[in-house]
Amino acid sequence: MTFLKRYLIPRLIQYLLVTFLGLTAVFILPRLLPIDPIQQRIAQYQTFGMIIPPDQLEYMISTLRSLFGLEGTLWQQYVMFWQRLLTWDFGPSLARFPTPVSTLIAWHLPWTLALLISSLVIGWVVGTLVGGVAGYYHRSKATRLLDGAAMVVRPIPYYILALLLLILFTHVLPLLPRGGGIGIGVTPEFNLAAIWSILLHATLPALTLIIGGITEHFQAMKLIVQTSRSEDHVWYARSAGVKDSTIVFHYVIRNAMLPRITHLGLSLGFVFSGALITEIVFRYPGVGLLLFNAIMHGDYNLIMGISAISIMVITTSILLLDLLLPLVDPRVRHQ
Amino acid sequence: MSGLLRDLFKDYRFIIAFGVVLALLSLSLLSIFSPFDPQRALQVPRAQPPSWQYLLGTTWLGQDVFWQLTHAIRNTLAIALIASLTSRVIALLIGLVAGYRGGLVDRILMSAGDTTLVLPSLVILILASIFLREWLRDLVNLGLLLAFFAWAWDARVIRSQVLSLREREFTRVSILSGMGTFRLVVKQYLPFILPIAFTTLINNMSWAIGMEVTLAYLGLGIDPSVPTIGNMLQVAIFRQALFMGLWWWLLAPVGTALLLFVSLYLLSVSLSEYLDPKARVQRIGLR
Amino acid sequence: MRKLLMALSVLFVIGSLGLGQVLPPGVPRAETLIVHSLFAPAPMPGNWNLWAGWRQNNNGLHQFATEALWTLNPNVVEGGIINALAAEPPSYNEDFTQLTIKLREGVYWSDGVPFTAHDVVFTVLATRETPALSFHAQMLEVKEAYAADDHTVVITLTRPNTRFHTAFLERWGTLRPMPKHIFSQVEDIMAFDFHPPLSLGPYVYVNHDPAGNWALWRKRDDWQRTVTGMLFGEPAPQYVLFMNYGPPESHIMAMLGHELDVFQGPTEAMLVLLEQGDTTRSFREAWPFIDPRDLSTRGPGFNHLREPFNNRDVRWALALAIDAVEVAIMAYDGMVALTPGLPLMVLPEFKEWYFERLEPWLEEFTLDLGDGRVFHPWDGEAPWRLLEWAQQHHQVDLDPTDTDAVRLTLGYGWWRHAPDVAEELLTRHGFSRGADGRWRLPNGELWRIQYLSGTDPTDMAYIVALAVMEQWRAFGITVDHVPSAAAGHLTWHGEFEVSAASHGGWVGEVWGVHPDLHIGFLSLRSDLVRPIGEPTLGWAQRWSDPRMDELVRELELTPWDDLERIIELGLEGMKLQIEEMIAIPIINCPIVIVFDESYWTNFPSPANDYARSDNFTTWPQLKYILHHLEPTGR
Repeated sequence: MTFLKRYLIPRLIQYLLVTFLGLTAVFILPRLLPIDPIQQRIAQYQTFGMIIPPDQLEYMISTLRSLFGLEGTLWQQYVMFWQRLLTWDFGPSLARFPTPVSTLIAWHLPWTLALLISSLVIGWVVGTLVGGVAGYYHRSKATRLLDGAAMVVRPIPYYILALLLLILFTHVLPLLPRGGGIGIGVTPEFNLAAIWSILLHATLPALTLIIGGITEHFQAMKLIVQTSRSEDHVWYARSAGVKDSTIVFHYVIRNAMLPRITHLGLSLGFVFSGALITEIVFRYPGVGLLLFNAIMHGDYNLIMGISAISIMVITTSILLLDLLLPLVDPRVRHQ
Repeated sequence: MSGLLRDLFKDYRFIIAFGVVLALLSLSLLSIFSPFDPQRALQVPRAQPPSWQYLLGTTWLGQDVFWQLTHAIRNTLAIALIASLTSRVIALLIGLVAGYRGGLVDRILMSAGDTTLVLPSLVILILASIFLREWLRDLVNLGLLLAFFAWAWDARVIRSQVLSLREREFTRVSILSGMGTFRLVVKQYLPFILPIAFTTLINNMSWAIGMEVTLAYLGLGIDPSVPTIGNMLQVAIFRQALFMGLWWWLLAPVGTALLLFVSLYLLSVSLSEYLDPKARVQRIGLR
Repeated sequence: MRKLLMALSVLFVIGSLGLGQVLPPGVPRAETLIVHSLFAPAPMPGNWNLWAGWRQNNNGLHQFATEALWTLNPNVVEGGIINALAAEPPSYNEDFTQLTIKLREGVYWSDGVPFTAHDVVFTVLATRETPALSFHAQMLEVKEAYAADDHTVVITLTRPNTRFHTAFLERWGTLRPMPKHIFSQVEDIMAFDFHPPLSLGPYVYVNHDPAGNWALWRKRDDWQRTVTGMLFGEPAPQYVLFMNYGPPESHIMAMLGHELDVFQGPTEAMLVLLEQGDTTRSFREAWPFIDPRDLSTRGPGFNHLREPFNNRDVRWALALAIDAVEVAIMAYDGMVALTPGLPLMVLPEFKEWYFERLEPWLEEFTLDLGDGRVFHPWDGEAPWRLLEWAQQHHQVDLDPTDTDAVRLTLGYGWWRHAPDVAEELLTRHGFSRGADGRWRLPNGELWRIQYLSGTDPTDMAYIVALAVMEQWRAFGITVDHVPSAAAGHLTWHGEFEVSAASHGGWVGEVWGVHPDLHIGFLSLRSDLVRPIGEPTLGWAQRWSDPRMDELVRELELTPWDDLERIIELGLEGMKLQIEEMIAIPIINCPIVIVFDESYWTNFPSPANDYARSDNFTTWPQLKYILHHLEPTGR
């Protein structure tokens, strides 16, 4: 009972508060943009060939305003935002009116989810394992070599790394597609040709993300293991004659996993804002690029839709991690 | 203090990193003697390879890469330092207050911090760079904006440190002996907390430099005619330095960025191993 | 080593399987033209209803799917206007309140339904009745529209208008006929996506990218039943793919890999492609490579409601502080045509209509420096200075003694680079130089110009802005570059000092093959100017002058075929703009284009000048020139 009162309820209140504040921020921030979606649209008319007479312009603005649901005070719009959120409807996209925001997100999100989750997990598994072993044998030559490589590769500006891979695998060795999510004329369905095409197109963007992930997790894990191998229980195990490999995998790495699992959980939450630069370089049709273009067009509804989902996923996954981890690892207690 | 330095200099990684940082700092100081206005073009012949006259060659726009680089290092370091110092101060203040006072104050401060953590920071930075356009053109302000996203996690770490310190014997002893809150915090807590703040400072600088480069690539950073690592990189990329064969133009900012990142990483590793091997474990990789 | 070689050869074998190939099976590369899709990704992929707003029309939609009543002739040597769906030029009644349009017979929609006058009438009336549709405002002038017979449209107007038909004249955007049999079934035209689009042009929709990066079109089996087929015969490519490969470097690699036939982009990308590709070429064989004949200009524009830019002498001083030749070199390696007048295009027709008549006046034109001293700012030699520079740095294929060729390639001339005169003009109004050599405002504060641009560093306006800023800095003015994603919005609201946006609001753009400047002058009307903070209805730079109002009124009374009078009024307007230096046009927007001739040849060149080169990327007239292409048989 004390657990409920002293930990769970305050934690839930905090969860709700943070979610509320975050969502309010994504309502307000886009509205500070000096890009008005209506004027953006009228500007397009004017740029591409029409002069709209003054009396017409006024009329047109008000027509579009009600069409876009941007009437009323900021407060009324805010209330409406919550109403919509609770019914899981973000309204129409303003730059792609009248397509609903939810339709756009539903189309773009799977690309990002598939690409980012798989490359995050691969990067995490490889980086953590190699890092763990390297941390245990931290004086070996191979470790130093890996350490040096990770140290240099990790900070390469992301765009440069992507460009180098692009040149290598599409130009010098023309092996892979130049970008996009799937081949021209292939419909994303569940069949061999489509899956093959999707995999081919995802290879390069995934590779850049995985390289970044491996080096990051390698460095982190190596440090943790390096530190924890000097702890007492490892020393006891070794003097008791337990095999080195057993010590590495059963004692050291296993114990060092906890903070890494937390980290993986957190980074999965950030999937929604996508890997913007990856998607720009490889024209990957994900949600990051969708969001970037939404910002550039002042598409409030779309910005709010993507950011709101992202915030809810992050806060919820942090909450779940906080609540679940103690069940997995008895050393952590709710405090 | 001298003991600390003596110990640190036993670590070859520290020596290398320290040397590189020192070299980069002196390069940035050289910018004072630059014969060229960093924002001007057509100052020297265009697209010259490195030579004795133009140490790192010249750009397609007729700028001397070496002298431009000295300005770029200075400005980028300035942004990174402003971002990380400011965020450290915020993190210290909030962490100390939240940890020491506890209760409602703690909850409010931590919720505010968590909110900045769950916001998609790159998205907010892009938004902010658009609606704060004139304000943000100044590099000090870019540093301040970055600082806004960098304090929350470390404030949390400091807070939990304070929480555990508060339970310790010496806190009770100090309070009983009539020590004021302020003095207690400064005298008894800071020595435990400053090492955390210091190592995170270095990690945070790396993050800020990374953000500067990303924003510049998107065309949303500070005035693009003011040289920074990110701006130099952006111009070199979009003017096709690589395909035009002007490799020196691209290599200068990329190489400098690498040197800077690697030496900051080495500094932070050796410092944190020296100061507190365990505390390091909790922070690594989260920024 | 042997292992490495083995591995490499395995990689090459895999590579030859064509995993990276861009075209789907069944679409042979040799029969496909792959064209660079500019302005991508498309804002609304999968929505082709261009009557309801901007739809990335240049992804094939306005090139292939739609057809206009009249269209500019892409061939600038011939010039003039093509009667497309209309069988003959527009015919007005005596007082310009009724327009009769004769339509071409035998044109069919791609679903086999004949195109008739009823389609046109339906389009005009639906546009009038549906607010927020493009051209709704213009169609409000329509009193009545009906089909006199299947191929005759009669439109009566609420007021006399000599230029009503220009709403149907394709330059880059016009009111094109909708298929009545589709749109009349639609409840809400604004919300209709028109997917898949029906074609009136020679190609039909095949497939598109939901992310907006490509669109694939196939030649119609009944291409003979389209305007293109009737006027020009069969277009050569079986398929056309509009493709965006992403950043310029990706396009470079795609073209070097022969997966892109036409590319338009920044100078540096062009130079790389010309140097590294075996089969690449631009419009010209040698420097200046480019085609200079786009229909718009580039250069800084002022906010006339802001101090000190409301002062004519300040504007002139800023112009004279610029060395246009250096701007050309820094921005485009010199490969541009200089032009001093806002809509003074560098085209053969424009040279004849306007420049040749303007030249004596330009020679005589003076600026008053006080004390009875005057300054002749015109520098007709500027293109030759550019040429001289080029001869030292490039291989040039221009003969300096061929005045016409030089002028039509490198421009007519520009203003003298006269910092000393600029200095005089400024000091006369109380500006001063500080001890640091930097200019101070009359109130003693540092003069800090805020130069607004978009954020895309490969955009022409951005590139030119960099070069202009360099000139002003060299002159001692402190200039801040303010790139903003909201640049368009800020300019429109007057929240800027100097803007890099193209001259916008049509002032810098013209019909090109017709001398009428009404389209540009119209937005200079003083009743369209709005204060700072409000979206303007006319020109974003907010200049106005009663003399210009009068010219616009005169032009509106002048029939479109009275060319002499139109040119006379156009000249008046141009002189007024120059005297007032209302903005600083520096160059004719250059068409930096590269063709890869590995699959298709006979792209335009000076010797084979059948079209402006950018008709191959964004312009709607692409359908009229595809019959020129020849497959290489590869």
